[in-house]
Amino acid sequence: MPPSPDSVPGREPVLRASGLHKTYRGGMLSRGGAVRAVAGVDLELHAGETLGIVGESGCGKSTLARMLVGLERPDQGEVTFRGRPFFARGGVPRDIRRRVQMVFQDPLTSLNPRMTVHDIVAEPLRVHRLARDARAMRERVGELLTLVGLSPDRMNRFPHEFSGGQRQRIGIARALATEPDVIVCDEPVSALDMSVQAQVVNLFAELQRTLGVALVFIAHDLAVVRHVSHRVGVMYLGRLAELGPAGQVYGAPAHPYTMALLSAAPVPKPRLRGRSRIMLAGDPPSPVAPPPGCRFHTRCWKAAPRCAEEEPVLEAVGGHYAACHFAERAS
Amino acid sequence: MSEPPVLEIRDLRVTFTAQGREIPAVRGVDLTIERGQTLALLGESGSGKSVTAKAIMGLLDRPGTQVRCAAARLGGRDLLAMSEEERRELRGSAMTLVFQDALSALNPVLSIGDQIGELFRVHLGVSRKEARARSIEMLTLVGIPAAAKRVDDYPHQFSGGMRQRILVAMAVALEPDLIIADEPTTALDVTVQAQILELIDRLRRELGTAVLLITHDLGVAAEVSDRVAVMYAGRIVESGEAGELYDLPAHPYTAALLAAIPDLDAPASELRAIPGAPPSPAQVPPGCSFAPRCDRASELCRTTRPPLVPLTAGSGRYAACHHSEEMLDAALA
Repeated sequence: MPPSPDSVPGREPVLRASGLHKTYRGGMLSRGGAVRAVAGVDLELHAGETLGIVGESGCGKSTLARMLVGLERPDQGEVTFRGRPFFARGGVPRDIRRRVQMVFQDPLTSLNPRMTVHDIVAEPLRVHRLARDARAMRERVGELLTLVGLSPDRMNRFPHEFSGGQRQRIGIARALATEPDVIVCDEPVSALDMSVQAQVVNLFAELQRTLGVALVFIAHDLAVVRHVSHRVGVMYLGRLAELGPAGQVYGAPAHPYTMALLSAAPVPKPRLRGRSRIMLAGDPPSPVAPPPGCRFHTRCWKAAPRCAEEEPVLEAVGGHYAACHFAERAS
Repeated sequence: MSEPPVLEIRDLRVTFTAQGREIPAVRGVDLTIERGQTLALLGESGSGKSVTAKAIMGLLDRPGTQVRCAAARLGGRDLLAMSEEERRELRGSAMTLVFQDALSALNPVLSIGDQIGELFRVHLGVSRKEARARSIEMLTLVGIPAAAKRVDDYPHQFSGGMRQRILVAMAVALEPDLIIADEPTTALDVTVQAQILELIDRLRRELGTAVLLITHDLGVAAEVSDRVAVMYAGRIVESGEAGELYDLPAHPYTAALLAAIPDLDAPASELRAIPGAPPSPAQVPPGCSFAPRCDRASELCRTTRPPLVPLTAGSGRYAACHHSEEMLDAALA
């Protein structure tokens, strides 16, 4: 297996994805065409770090998230947890499932409305037999709720009795129940009101500090991802366009798509209005028929004939990686 | 005498009645928009911003909903004195609405040309042929490539960004005085969002239309609006010129929102989160609605609701806070 481009020598990653491909075919919506959701993604996640993934809708970031927790089986490629493959005979081994958890986008639809908060948070404890008896379970649920900033005496209530931000905390408590090494969060704050987003973002940062859990943080909000991530991957149509330390990807973007994305992001500073911005033409192409060569060449202002033919791979540019024939190299 | 403002709303109140309970969603909102101006109405979910937009359009006329207003004028015409028939005439011509979700706002079984053309046929009584020609013109105006060919396509054949452009085309087709854009880019990707915001801004400049932009996104409001009005729990808590309001917020809620969103250029380790959650419209606290979450709240705030009053600083700034002047002094000191 070729080493992942961002591997750190001497450090075994907790989670490694290599050559991941996922294609959905035949469904009613695809009109006969196969949706190439993820088409060749390699990445590594190290203990205690946050890897942010940004990209627009349809870029495959949610499919990637589902493969990273074993909810979706890749067509090609492999995910390993501390060197052990996810998909052994008969599915993901139980102890790997326990160590890799997920937090979903919509806290209302990802919590069973007919279960109490106690039952929701206790379910993983029961499944993985992590509590001796009902009393120990209750205690542990109380601990977990306290950890995410909820009062344990509300554990007999139902999800609808909580606000959006509190529901997301319940989802986080459930993910923490099994003492995971990795939590994959798919748009964990985008359903929340702005005034509540910051609370949940801060909670993730605090949990990482205190528990040392590694996070994969998937979102479309560039500023939120920058804020929480040590490293960032930028996805476009199923592939990574750029990957590297957050400061470098945001501060010295090498891929034209990253530049356009950063330039297009609305900035809450009216004084900066009228600054020169990169305006991309058109919408992202459909993942049913991604363009040949570089997937971004149809919207790229740097595109040359070569880009339509030859697919660029992730290559080192300065301290990080970009998949572009004309990547900006920091001097 | 100067031109009357395009839109003037005084003391708008909207109350929903559900299961015998009265839920006041909008509790006394004043709005004024001048010609060619963009006003952003900024607020979180449940703040009443979309209800305000619908009430102005006259789309809340249904059982269980009570809309009251002291004055409502559109370009000098008194909306309250009008018959339902007359208001209906104005909708789509003098004031138009751009919805958030373009796919559900367009009729899936009519071609785009038919839907845009309908505006010209109904409001101007032109022929089918002429309506079609003008539809193609509108599609070209909003940047749809090969408009003459695509005019016969159906909504599902367009991408999300293109559909939003079609809605914008329909909104400006009859050169309205006012466009109300209700979260026009929330369903769109960042790169497409930038295109649509630029399009709305360009049309405003070229056609001199006033725009009421409803949004929850501080960034979006900052990019295109001249003035910003911040809503919280059914009321406007602060309004002013965009640059001044962002630089020197005069309401603790505005200041807290600005401090709670991460800055792309200056990643700090901790965001200053606002404690608690916005109140439910059914149970708004007495006194200032923001007091329970406010770090400046005093006893006065918990008992007496501060009215929206003009501030001495800035140009045409208003704030509803007992501590506004003290906040501005502290920021300037």
